[in-house]
Amino acid sequence: MIVAVESTPRRRPASVTVPQTQPAEVWRLLVLDDLNRMSYAVMVLRRVLGLDEMRARRHVMEIHEAGRSVVWMGNREQAEAYMFALHQWHLTAIIQPQEAA
Amino acid sequence: MKQVEIRLNIGAVAPLLDVIKQAADDLRTTLAIRARFPEEDADFNETWTQELMAGQNSDVRELLGLFDSEFFTDGAIAITGENCDSLLRACAALRLRIHERWLREVPVDIVEDPDAEITAVAEVARLPFAAYTFLDQIQKIILEHLSPAGTE
Repeated sequence: MIVAVESTPRRRPASVTVPQTQPAEVWRLLVLDDLNRMSYAVMVLRRVLGLDEMRARRHVMEIHEAGRSVVWMGNREQAEAYMFALHQWHLTAIIQPQEAA
Repeated sequence: MKQVEIRLNIGAVAPLLDVIKQAADDLRTTLAIRARFPEEDADFNETWTQELMAGQNSDVRELLGLFDSEFFTDGAIAITGENCDSLLRACAALRLRIHERWLREVPVDIVEDPDAEITAVAEVARLPFAAYTFLDQIQKIILEHLSPAGTE
């Protein structure tokens, strides 16, 4: 009786123009520790990033124990879109260029 | 459609709603988590914030709507596949705000313990702590029974 839940994807603001960066530049998306329920954080990482259950759990454990976890790496525009989506779910996320690691 | 109906003790929940509504009032003008903007562009940041605020307010309204006059008749709230995403986000936002406003002095091991006794918390913080735990339980029920883990 469980039905698949179709959420309405909320995208980043349509009017925002993202400055162009070097094509090869890699950005990291980090999620920081907060007080959200762990099973909730796992669900959000699965929903937003498409992670499988085990990988999402590993990230959430790392967030809980180390205070942060790099949950995704790639181009800046996609990193910003993921960051925005995580903010919508009230997970604290930041992005950094790879060289700042 | 899958639906979960939760029957609540009206007398026990009513005082929690007072706390939740105060937190909801806070959230009408501020985000539950501090926005960390990827840009230094003020227009970008304003647009980003307004989008987040609109979503947050919509989600909180959805949750408060569960506790309407009908709730105070039968004590029941219904959660479906249609409203569960909003309710999950609203619970998260409200919990974060309740913590920030009333529970910052409570040790984190108590805050993060779903089985913590309310007597472990200073008397002044007990009602907010009960509201915080209540919202956590709603999230738990949704996650366990509506399984909203589909990829966006």
